[in-house]
Amino acid sequence: MPAPFFIKGNKNRMEEKIQKLYESLNRISVEYLLCLNRNNVKDTGKLMPEIEEFARWFLQENIFGIEQDLYEGMSNNLLQILNDIVTAMEQNDRVLLNDAVTYGLLEYLKLFAVQGEDSNDNL
Amino acid sequence: MTIYEKNLKTLAKHYEKMDVLIEDARKKNEETLEIMEELSYDGEPILKIKKDDRICYLNGKRNTTEPAKMWAKHLGKLMPNAPVFLMGMGNPTYLKELVDKAENPVTIIVYEPSFQIFLRILQMVDLERWMEKHLIVFWVKGIEGMDWERLKGLLTSLLRYEVLNLSRHLVLPNYDVLFPEETLEFVQGCRDIVKDELVQRNTKMRFSSLVAKNLLANARYVADGYKTTQLVNIVPEGVPGIVVAAGPSLNKNIKDLKAAKGKAFIIAVDTAVKPLLREGIVPDMFAIVDAKKPVELVQIEGAEQIPLLPSVVAASDVMDFHTGMKFFANEGYQVIDEMLLHHKMEYADVPTGGSVATSAFALLYKLGIETIILVGQDLAFTNNRSHADRTFAEKMEEMDTSGCIMVEGNNEEKVPSREDLQVYIEWYGMFIEGCQKENPNFRVINATEGGAKIKNTEITTLKDAIARECKIEVDIPAFLSGLKPMFAEDRDWAVKYLKGIPDKCTTLMKDAGNAKKLYQKLDKLCRHRNIDQKEYTNLLKKLEKQIQKIETQSMYDLAAITMSEAQYILKNERFLEYGSIQEEGKEIARKGILYMEKVIECASLFREYAESVYTDFE
Repeated sequence: MPAPFFIKGNKNRMEEKIQKLYESLNRISVEYLLCLNRNNVKDTGKLMPEIEEFARWFLQENIFGIEQDLYEGMSNNLLQILNDIVTAMEQNDRVLLNDAVTYGLLEYLKLFAVQGEDSNDNL
Repeated sequence: MTIYEKNLKTLAKHYEKMDVLIEDARKKNEETLEIMEELSYDGEPILKIKKDDRICYLNGKRNTTEPAKMWAKHLGKLMPNAPVFLMGMGNPTYLKELVDKAENPVTIIVYEPSFQIFLRILQMVDLERWMEKHLIVFWVKGIEGMDWERLKGLLTSLLRYEVLNLSRHLVLPNYDVLFPEETLEFVQGCRDIVKDELVQRNTKMRFSSLVAKNLLANARYVADGYKTTQLVNIVPEGVPGIVVAAGPSLNKNIKDLKAAKGKAFIIAVDTAVKPLLREGIVPDMFAIVDAKKPVELVQIEGAEQIPLLPSVVAASDVMDFHTGMKFFANEGYQVIDEMLLHHKMEYADVPTGGSVATSAFALLYKLGIETIILVGQDLAFTNNRSHADRTFAEKMEEMDTSGCIMVEGNNEEKVPSREDLQVYIEWYGMFIEGCQKENPNFRVINATEGGAKIKNTEITTLKDAIARECKIEVDIPAFLSGLKPMFAEDRDWAVKYLKGIPDKCTTLMKDAGNAKKLYQKLDKLCRHRNIDQKEYTNLLKKLEKQIQKIETQSMYDLAAITMSEAQYILKNERFLEYGSIQEEGKEIARKGILYMEKVIECASLFREYAESVYTDFE
């Protein structure tokens, strides 16, 4: 199993990675919603290794020290999002993928990333 | 009453018998997909479709409205009469957002490729409010009369050049995944219509300044001319027609054509006349439509006497050079049609297809000829050449085709071509398909021996085609010599009509002058702080009446063609909206004054030119 990219002691590099993933997915989302670009399955597919790494890191342990119930709820929701992303990839389902990424995964990434002018909130 | 029943009632209110058609389709409907309904996280029903082992959502479960809201928000201002096309209604939030966004009534065309999905949406969403607000046309595959061909007709009537930049379209997400063929057909169909509109528009722009001049000069030949309807029965049943175009492949088989002489009706395009005569082959007729065709291309001894199928707006130099029989058709130019329909003469309609070869081809079909052989109709740059030798040059030079589009070839896998030629390739395919529906015995043999492949044609060599088809002797010159000019009995009327053209121009100038005065009044009225609404409405009514009077005039028809750019601007801007009645009125007046000045200018030029042509005409 590859080492999680966002582990203690290597924070700056990991923050950079999350930032990059957030920006990439946000761009795909903007292109899908506003430019009607229907390549989101292909484009998101290229980012799957990074998405998996982020998920593994998040699910590994409650490093934020938040309430355990809340953390578990968030973890279950993230698993459901990942499940939808994988299903969408298999079925070539652009709608489900956009829904899972734009209104699911990006909400998680936002917790760690700095939002630029083209962030989803400003769409 | 269920939502479904209410929707049937609403649809029937707007479209007669739509409820009956839906019920009929429901009874006959075969289920080709599985529709699953689930609730989104906020409790809204959303659809999931299973088709061919693939399952796709039509709406998101986390956020049902945001994608449609975003799309609608970024549509820009929607104009009345500029249509919005939606493919798919399985996610009704798109239609809802569209309906809510447009403040004024707009035309919305919804094409749904699945009757099952349409039916399910009728059970889920109340359409009444939406349909009260806008003109919404639901076109559903599977309902009687709603086939693709008819939809294409509807799209063609809506996608006019003036509204191309104002209309909007959307294929709902995942429809391209679930209905790839229908999506391709819809998108490609729309693209083709737009392309046709652009090509036609560019042609109009290119020739608009010449059309009037050529038409006024050529009209005199109508007085001694013939009508294409007189050519019916020119060949007996079983005799084929041959269209000889001037494509580069004509070099290969031009000599073979000799064997067809006297056994087919051979019609050549203008550019093919020189190489044919140089080869000792005299076609039975040749056609010309190009307003800019240089006379040098047909200037060869003998060409002047070959019967001619001209467009009345074709290059007047060629018409002057030609002294033989000229066969005219109704082309929609009012000033000529009034002549061609004199004394209830039969309407001679020949679809043009846009090029000289397609016009010749359409004439042969109209004459009832059941087998047409195409020669030299490359519609491509075969061997990197544009035309046959001895047309524009003794030996045509090789050209650079690296920037060309590649299309399927007759002999080669791909051949270089051009987008405007592709329009003709498609025209042939469609036209032949239509002809074959009308007459199942109709056949087209493509004996070009090169060039682009045309749908619905049989490919063979010219030698084989002639050996197989040209078996019956026919004396075309004898048939033609028996024809009388269309005004043989009433030539005086035709001469008087033509000599009256300058007076028609004077009438147009006078009426346009009166319209200009009304626009000036409108401008003055709109400069007041408070507009007298009654006077404003009265003025607009008077203007409408005056414009109607102008628009029915044959010389205005010609002026409108000449001023095609001004026409476009006016038609396009008609879809724009203004902030206040003053602003709108002033703008109407400003454009109206300018436009009427141009009409007067055109009519004055026409009068001057017509006087020079027709004053001494006898």
